[in-house]
Amino acid sequence: MGGLSFRAGNRLLPPLVLVFLIVPSRQSLAIPAFSRMYGTSCSTCHLDFPKLNDFGKAFKDAGFKFPKDDESMLKIPPVMLGAPANAELWPKAIWPGTIPGIPPIGLRYNQYFQYTSTNRSNFSQLSPSGTVTPFIPTTDFEAGYFSIFTAGNFGSDIAFWVDDDISVSGANSNGTLGEAYLKFVDIGRLMKLPSYALSLRVGQIELDIPFTQAKSIWISPYDIYSQANIGAVNPAFGQQFVNNSFAFAGSGKGIEFSGGHSIGGYHYSVAFIDQDTSNTPQATNNAYVPSATGSNNGGIGFASDSNFKDIYTNFQYRFNLERDKASRDAIQAAGPTGPRDHTYVNVGSFWLYGRSVQRLSGATTEGLPTVITAREPFYRVGGNATFNYRCCLQFNALWMYGHDNNLLPVDANGTVISLPVGTMPLPVGFISGQAATFSGGFADVEWLAYPWMMVLMRYDGVNSTSDYINGLVSGGFTGSPFNGAARATRNRLTPGVQFLIHANIKASFEYQFRPSQSVVFETSPVTGLPVAINPFHTNTAVAGLEFVY
Amino acid sequence: MMRSFLLMLLLTAALAVTATAGTIEGTVSPGKSSVVYVDTIAGKTFPAPSQQPVMDQKGLQFSPHVMVIQAGTTVEFLNSDNVQHNVFWPSISGNKKLGHNLGTWPKGDKRPFKFDNPGVVSLLCNVHPEMSGYIVVSPTSYFAETDASGHYKIDNVPDGKYNVVAWHEGMKQQSKSVDVSGTGKADFTLSK
Repeated sequence: MGGLSFRAGNRLLPPLVLVFLIVPSRQSLAIPAFSRMYGTSCSTCHLDFPKLNDFGKAFKDAGFKFPKDDESMLKIPPVMLGAPANAELWPKAIWPGTIPGIPPIGLRYNQYFQYTSTNRSNFSQLSPSGTVTPFIPTTDFEAGYFSIFTAGNFGSDIAFWVDDDISVSGANSNGTLGEAYLKFVDIGRLMKLPSYALSLRVGQIELDIPFTQAKSIWISPYDIYSQANIGAVNPAFGQQFVNNSFAFAGSGKGIEFSGGHSIGGYHYSVAFIDQDTSNTPQATNNAYVPSATGSNNGGIGFASDSNFKDIYTNFQYRFNLERDKASRDAIQAAGPTGPRDHTYVNVGSFWLYGRSVQRLSGATTEGLPTVITAREPFYRVGGNATFNYRCCLQFNALWMYGHDNNLLPVDANGTVISLPVGTMPLPVGFISGQAATFSGGFADVEWLAYPWMMVLMRYDGVNSTSDYINGLVSGGFTGSPFNGAARATRNRLTPGVQFLIHANIKASFEYQFRPSQSVVFETSPVTGLPVAINPFHTNTAVAGLEFVY
Repeated sequence: MMRSFLLMLLLTAALAVTATAGTIEGTVSPGKSSVVYVDTIAGKTFPAPSQQPVMDQKGLQFSPHVMVIQAGTTVEFLNSDNVQHNVFWPSISGNKKLGHNLGTWPKGDKRPFKFDNPGVVSLLCNVHPEMSGYIVVSPTSYFAETDASGHYKIDNVPDGKYNVVAWHEGMKQQSKSVDVSGTGKADFTLSK
């Protein structure tokens, strides 16, 4: 029975909570506004916020509404923006809608405390004596994020979401805005499709990646989602003119069509988003060019690096393994001690296609100055799988492969120009070189040991030869994406545990066995190429406290 | 003739019983939704009532929030919501051995449970932790719930001396000895 597990857990709680109360979680979004409007606990929709249970997924799919009888569940009734009968007057009256009865605003704050292992200062071991290098403390209290978010439904199956990090930019933020969109649920009805078949999101969105980064329960981001594809520029190796900052961890601006269910059967999405491979903030990207939303002296800037729109697709299929048909068909299974998530296997794949654009000052074959443009198609493709056992145990895995075409600049003689491109010789065109690729993914297990305690373990692996190569230059270790990977494959193991002190307050702890690094390299007698030596690990521990209200 | 005689006899007997049955009344602070009942009466038993009251789950709330029943009553637990609910109680008046979980059932279905043990049953839903309801199981058939002003009245109590118990959510239970001779009066001021 339900109460028994709480009693057993109480013996463990005091010492563990004490530990976490003296240290201060990071990115998470839960919706206290819904708690207020429906008069219900966070745990109605969340297991360990912001992780959604099956009911929470159905609530989200429905456009932030109870899938059935939403009106009867609302404790704060919405304000009518027109009587329902106005619909009969269309097109001579505005279509009636609603706004939430109270502003559906939620706030989130977190802070964390980090411990860094004794190798933390190894990055500066080659600095001459007496050089003042950046100091890395053993322990550090860090202010986290303060975010405001609002979400709800405007009636007529139009939902909205906006989250914004007020203090500092979040992992999912572009600028300070996380996601901001309108979702038109069930537009398929216009084509007489089933109610779940087609919806539309418009705005700034986190792509419908198999495992959300923006609303992950982990403190640390998934490494593969943060992986940009920067080609090798180390002159000791074959160079690649690839500079693609696109990463799934960011958000995209555009539109997304989606359908199916998040809780069973198929689910798909197709998105078209701005090409943004330069990672240039919108405010500084051609801000001086008049835009439709700014003045003649300069607008708010453009987000796109080119006219091409990235295309993203995601297809998932969830096999419901519940034996009882009634439970299988319901949003949640009817367990002996209450509704619980289904036991299921989910498999899927995702694919993104874009064209990275790089522009150079060059010359025509006649020697006249001109701008030459490298349009390098790239794609990301991957697969994922999840096994979920009832409420409490979930195994997740994702693997991804990234590929960028590599167009190397050549001079008038057809000779490849060494990177970076200088003033001379001027490039006149491009030839195809070896593509820049990377691969990797993660696998994790999430065990809800008690309703208030989540035990976690994750493996992250990223293989990027170019990242490794770019570190093998003097001073390159600190400038490379990973501060000097000692091998092309970077492995990270992260055990963690999280405690819900209340349904809206969480203490989290993660220890990160980080990938091996190196700042020393030598020339291999076999290949004659630089190789990293003397690898070390700089492990970290982080504890966080987070609350939403 | 014989039939009329028997009818008169029955009426007389009924009037005689009514004449010896009294009331207990009074007020309970903090007021509404308090429960007052006559505690166990030594040597007296009460047949289980045939009525089966309904404890509903509607709009993510137990309705009514407080219900008082006589021991031996079977309560029907109804789910009127389009979401699944669960009903359980970890104990009855602190006795964890009497905890029970009724499971989960869909909209429109009912699950019965017969409450044989007197005490306070704190109803919970495993999936909606904010949901709370109470069933107060009285050992006797003499019980009442207070009105909006905190007033209660228990009818048909035979003359005698009784231990009367008052309960309110979140307050310490209180009991008083009351003499009923036609009427009895007991006011309660409960505290946390």
